[in-house]
Amino acid sequence: MAEPIYTVASDSETTGEDRSAPIFPEIAVGIDIGTSQCSIAFWNGSQVELLKNTRNQKIMRSYVTFKDDTPSGGVINELSHEYDMLSGAAIFNMKRLIGRVDTDPVVHASKSLPFLVQTLDIGVRPFVAALVNNVWRSTTPEEVLAIFLVELKMMAEHQLKRPIRNVVLTIPVSFSRFQLTRVERACAMAGLQVRLMPEPTAVALLYAQQQQQQAVHENMGSGSEKIALIFNMGAGYCDVAVSATGGGVSQIKALAGSPIGGEDLLQNTMKYLLPNVESIFSHRGIDEIRRMGLLRVATQDAIHKLSFQSSVQIDVNLGNGSKLCKVLSREEFEMVNSEVFEKCKNLVNQCLHDARVGIDDLSDVVVVGGCSNIPKIRSLLMQKSKKKALYEGMNPLEAAVSGAALEGAVASGIADPFGSLDLLSIQATPLAIGIRADGNSFIPIIPKNTTMPARKELVFTTVKDNQSEALIVVYEGEETRAEENHLLGYFKIIGIPPAPKGLPEITICMDIDSSNMLRVLAGARLPGAHHPATPFMEVKMPTVDDGHGWCAEALHGKYGAAMDLVSLQKKS
Amino acid sequence: MAISIVPSIQRSVSMASSSFAHPNEPKHIIRKPRWTAVRCSARERANETNYYELLGVSADSNAQEIKEAYRKLQKKFHPDIAGQEGHERTLRLNEAYRVLMREDRRKEYDSSMGEMRVRFGNYNPGLGYSSWKGPLRSQALFVDGNACIGCRECVHHASNTFTMDETLGRARVKVQYGDNDQKIQVSVESCPVNCIYWVEKEELAVLEYLMQPLPKEGYGVFGGGWEIPANVFMAAKAFTQQLKRQKQDTKFGKETVEETPAQAEARANASMKIQMEKFNGIWNWVKQVLGTQVDS
Repeated sequence: MAEPIYTVASDSETTGEDRSAPIFPEIAVGIDIGTSQCSIAFWNGSQVELLKNTRNQKIMRSYVTFKDDTPSGGVINELSHEYDMLSGAAIFNMKRLIGRVDTDPVVHASKSLPFLVQTLDIGVRPFVAALVNNVWRSTTPEEVLAIFLVELKMMAEHQLKRPIRNVVLTIPVSFSRFQLTRVERACAMAGLQVRLMPEPTAVALLYAQQQQQQAVHENMGSGSEKIALIFNMGAGYCDVAVSATGGGVSQIKALAGSPIGGEDLLQNTMKYLLPNVESIFSHRGIDEIRRMGLLRVATQDAIHKLSFQSSVQIDVNLGNGSKLCKVLSREEFEMVNSEVFEKCKNLVNQCLHDARVGIDDLSDVVVVGGCSNIPKIRSLLMQKSKKKALYEGMNPLEAAVSGAALEGAVASGIADPFGSLDLLSIQATPLAIGIRADGNSFIPIIPKNTTMPARKELVFTTVKDNQSEALIVVYEGEETRAEENHLLGYFKIIGIPPAPKGLPEITICMDIDSSNMLRVLAGARLPGAHHPATPFMEVKMPTVDDGHGWCAEALHGKYGAAMDLVSLQKKS
Repeated sequence: MAISIVPSIQRSVSMASSSFAHPNEPKHIIRKPRWTAVRCSARERANETNYYELLGVSADSNAQEIKEAYRKLQKKFHPDIAGQEGHERTLRLNEAYRVLMREDRRKEYDSSMGEMRVRFGNYNPGLGYSSWKGPLRSQALFVDGNACIGCRECVHHASNTFTMDETLGRARVKVQYGDNDQKIQVSVESCPVNCIYWVEKEELAVLEYLMQPLPKEGYGVFGGGWEIPANVFMAAKAFTQQLKRQKQDTKFGKETVEETPAQAEARANASMKIQMEKFNGIWNWVKQVLGTQVDS
């Protein structure tokens, strides 16, 4: 192959600035890269169609194997055996690692994967490496994702016989904006312009399309409003959304998400089957990796079987004469993972509460994702929603990618003569965005679940007399203490007119456009003045290029409270 | 409209061109739009367009109507469909929706805007309102038309004060203190249903206004027609409160949306047509009422 496997495009190509003309010059394809599986779909002119790889698979495994010099992913590569994936040469679960620092518990949980995830526990990115010819060769989650995207892109270009430049990629709800920049970076490396869409909102759009078509079919006009609870749990993430659907418009009322998923179920079960699993595999010899792989495959297999039978026999030869023979019952599996299921329940409760929706208001409960077959998950949602049945209209593994393909077609501005694309997805912010003020508090400016595009502002003031500068530290999250949230960036307002403390009005305005670009505008003026003392500042966020909070700590260490802000209680 | 956050490249170009274009203008004039360009106060924006007008719904529309209007407009202006130009519009739509969909926020907004669900629109002094003979006094006479049985006792005893409203079949005050106090006293006492009241003069205008049949907006084939509040005194109380709030907000009714001459003409034509139709409606209704009265 003459051309390099991926190209490094500039970051600006993926931003929304050059979108003022047509949003997408061509129909964007939808891609769902899950923690363990991935798929690609496109609008074929009348409906959404999933592409198949050369092995006739619509759902492909998300992994990249490093062999000799050329890495290859699960799209075109065929493993001779499942165990090959567990030999140390294959990197997978990259979605759980991208944009995370090594103090993150999710990264620590990934240390039991059969490749190298090394942490120094200081808040920097973890060291990830694959075993190539008995050498740990370093890579990054972005690189792995980019290799994967390139393979998907090549496959789609080959089959659709046109260049693919624009994609709609689904992401977990709980991703911070910093993580989104890492995903965008990977897409830029693959030469793709990307629009990111939270997974349950893609499912919601598919649901809106189905409801609209049904309404047209039954000749009911635009149909009445339907409230749907969408629960999407894959290998890496659990996301919940409440959407109000009517007339082909899917309006997201609330989102909730957490990095819990099938991987946690798997690890908990492995620990239950082999209580000293961590100590056995801590050294990461070649043999140990192979044994860990064997246990992993056997456990995964057992969990799948437990969705359809009440108990399963597990026999694994762990080598060294040790053998694991056990019967695992569904009750045991549910008991071992009760914490995970409890978290799922909490997410659903939180989402319903945030959406201000009662259980009686729900028209449908949509359960999708790789974990949607687990009986406990299904019963939990039926119990919670007091429904006898869950929504059956969509393939749980194809829902998110189909929704992404729909969004790609809608945003490309193509018209469908039958009105099948007369759709719109109105998104909401999954996390609150605000600044550090009032000491060390996080003051949200755009609250969670605000409809996008959104613009909000708050007025702050100085803490010292004649304070001429103020530090704006932007965070994203839900925690009350500023540093417990995700740091997005920081800048300084200068030239605040000299005045007693509490007098100058420092306006912080945040603007999110529909392509999810966040801009922070800030400026200071004295009350009554018609123009600001100095030009306003407009800063695109995030500005941080590393996912840790060190910069905030350093700023605090250097300036203390000298450039702090407090919120101004305005008398109107 | 000056308020916008445009992509930085475009913005810097427009900034530069505007400052080149007017090099002699005083500095603050150039700077002012710059301020508004980044100022995004919800308070200032609120006065630009009324949320109801923005959504194209009437001020007393219900949540379902607002929802449908919002979705329809979003499908037209959402940046996913309309591109970056739809950003500002969508922001305002979102804000309007956020406020109007929550009953508490909507109430607050209504009172701050002076937008009333009952419109004090077609105030028409003369018809149906009493005039005063002699100096104003602190109390005035008022006939509760809902209770009046049309017995004509009051008109008989004080014909200069009371008159019969033939179309509505009830008495009303024509001239306050049109007869001497004794005659008025007799007529008040002669009313078999005690529907003649002494009211404060300040309350009179509102009570008389509410006693007029007001056109009620219809939805599709439902509603429409004319209505009078069942309890005029309770209605007057609520109405006076609304009026007070309206007065507090001096900006009420200020039209800030600029119109092109063509739009203005179209609007004038449309309102004339509506007036004509209204007139026809009233005329038909009057004919109908008179006709039935004559028949019976």
